[in-house]
Amino acid sequence: MANAATFRYPSFSKRIVALVGGFGSGKTEVSVNLAKYLAHANSEPVTLVDLDLVNPYFRTREAIAEMEALGVRVVAPQGGQYYADLPILLPEIKGLLETHEGMLILDVGGDAQGCRALGSLSGEFPPGQYEMLMILNSRRPQTADVAGSIATMNRIAGSSRLPFTGLVSNTHMIDETDAAILLEGYDLARAVSGESGLPLFFVSAKRAVLNTMDTSVFACAILPLTRSMLKPWERKEETSGS
Amino acid sequence: MAKKLMKGNEAIGEAAICAGALNYFAYPITPQSEVAEYLCWRLPEVGGTFVQAESEVAVGNMLFGAAASGKRVFTTSSSPGISLMQEAISYIAGAQLPVVFVNIMRGGPGLGGILPAQSDYFQAVKAGGHGDYHLIVLAPSSVQEAVDLMILAFDLADKYRNPVMLIGDGMIGQMMEAVEFPEEHRKPNDPTGSDWALTGAKNRKARITKSLFLDPVMLEENSFLLAEKYKTIKKNEIRFEKYKVTDKNRILIMAYGTMARICQTAIDELEQEGISVGLFRPVSLYPFPEQDIFTESTRKNIEKVLVVEMSVGQMIEDIERCLKGQREIDFYGRTGGIVPTPNEVKDKVRQMLGIKK
Repeated sequence: MANAATFRYPSFSKRIVALVGGFGSGKTEVSVNLAKYLAHANSEPVTLVDLDLVNPYFRTREAIAEMEALGVRVVAPQGGQYYADLPILLPEIKGLLETHEGMLILDVGGDAQGCRALGSLSGEFPPGQYEMLMILNSRRPQTADVAGSIATMNRIAGSSRLPFTGLVSNTHMIDETDAAILLEGYDLARAVSGESGLPLFFVSAKRAVLNTMDTSVFACAILPLTRSMLKPWERKEETSGS
Repeated sequence: MAKKLMKGNEAIGEAAICAGALNYFAYPITPQSEVAEYLCWRLPEVGGTFVQAESEVAVGNMLFGAAASGKRVFTTSSSPGISLMQEAISYIAGAQLPVVFVNIMRGGPGLGGILPAQSDYFQAVKAGGHGDYHLIVLAPSSVQEAVDLMILAFDLADKYRNPVMLIGDGMIGQMMEAVEFPEEHRKPNDPTGSDWALTGAKNRKARITKSLFLDPVMLEENSFLLAEKYKTIKKNEIRFEKYKVTDKNRILIMAYGTMARICQTAIDELEQEGISVGLFRPVSLYPFPEQDIFTESTRKNIEKVLVVEMSVGQMIEDIERCLKGQREIDFYGRTGGIVPTPNEVKDKVRQMLGIKK
């Protein structure tokens, strides 16, 4: 069995990575874990932008303290706006797209509606200098097959006015994920890759599940995940945030 | 059917379709707007109808009219929106119409906030509108249970010709969990043979669906009829779940919805410390499992009962009523969108037993 040491982790030649997907694709977990990994692996700064304008709960901003402790800068609404269910687009994001140090990761929430925010910024993305990655989860109703995945990607690309440059296979069922589910999602992602011509950048999955399987079956990079977006009953041995 | 990963709000919408309920009226409000977002594309796929009303007041009245046709109808909303529907809910109960309401509760009073709360217990269980009536109230603690209870809600509404309300804190609507739906969708019910639905009075006497009875004798008759119905509901429809309830328990916790799951984590961790605590989770909040709560709470080793809610204390009043002074009752609650952690529950239990950490 392959172990974590043999993983090829994701690496990027571009300095901007936008992670996009529908509800439940797991883009927030992927964004948070990718930012943590890059901050740890590379000696360069990482900035994570919370562009989830449609989900009221379980957003990147909930992991701010954890991220900042690891040296990741998080850009998200603060103060009274932290809890708002309003589409707040921070003006500094435009500036970050023009100029930033190190890697810039954007966590773009919620399907085509959520990606309208990205559309208003589409002109600011430096041509050829960013990756726009679709996060696929074959256990979500709208991306359960190739046709549904392509249709969802077309809707998102339409409202974000940015073409996709690659795919991420993040098929999961939260705590019910197993190796068979990962493989099912990987097969779908390869089929979507074949149909769309977009490369599969990496597979992301819970580290505990990866440890149970032969990861050499994945021909691409792998990002092991540690869950950050926990439900209240999963938060053991910690006190209330307030 | 393979399990799917769904947000609670989407799953509640899909469950209604499984139940053959294809008539949905709603107005968006956080944290339940995804029900409408889901059903606005999903209902047309199965021949259903979604009308986005101009307000929740309009939603309530659309439900009254549509339910009178004998078809399955429902709405979903969150706390302030449910408040706006109270007048129509009272009329619907008075006219004995089957309607399913879903309240994905947020913090109040007033506009409050958008984070999870359980502070609409009184409104749901004690009937927030005017008059002598009750809703059947069901409280799921997981997305799967929300699906199962949503389907049950339509069956109960039809069986008793009574409005049913499914209440979940914001977490039920917003969290993602793996769910399974029944293979077969129910066919939309055919009200042709109904003895009350308004199906067109051709070749029969016209029917009138109303909650207005100016003659006091008839109004009293209607209220007695409802009261009889509630007695039957109390006899037949009590639902609850117990977790680690044994004769060793020193404390019995009472909690419903996702709050119960937080208490389960606390109970598991307290067990590791050698402190035996059980959980009683009412699933039907009306009818309330009065007798079972009394029986389980008065087991010989139980010293105290702890009620835990995401409110400043509402269900506790019903627990007090059930226990008739037989056990000391304590309370722990957070509100406004703050959700108690397992650790807070553990600290409360230790404090009640005089145990230092």
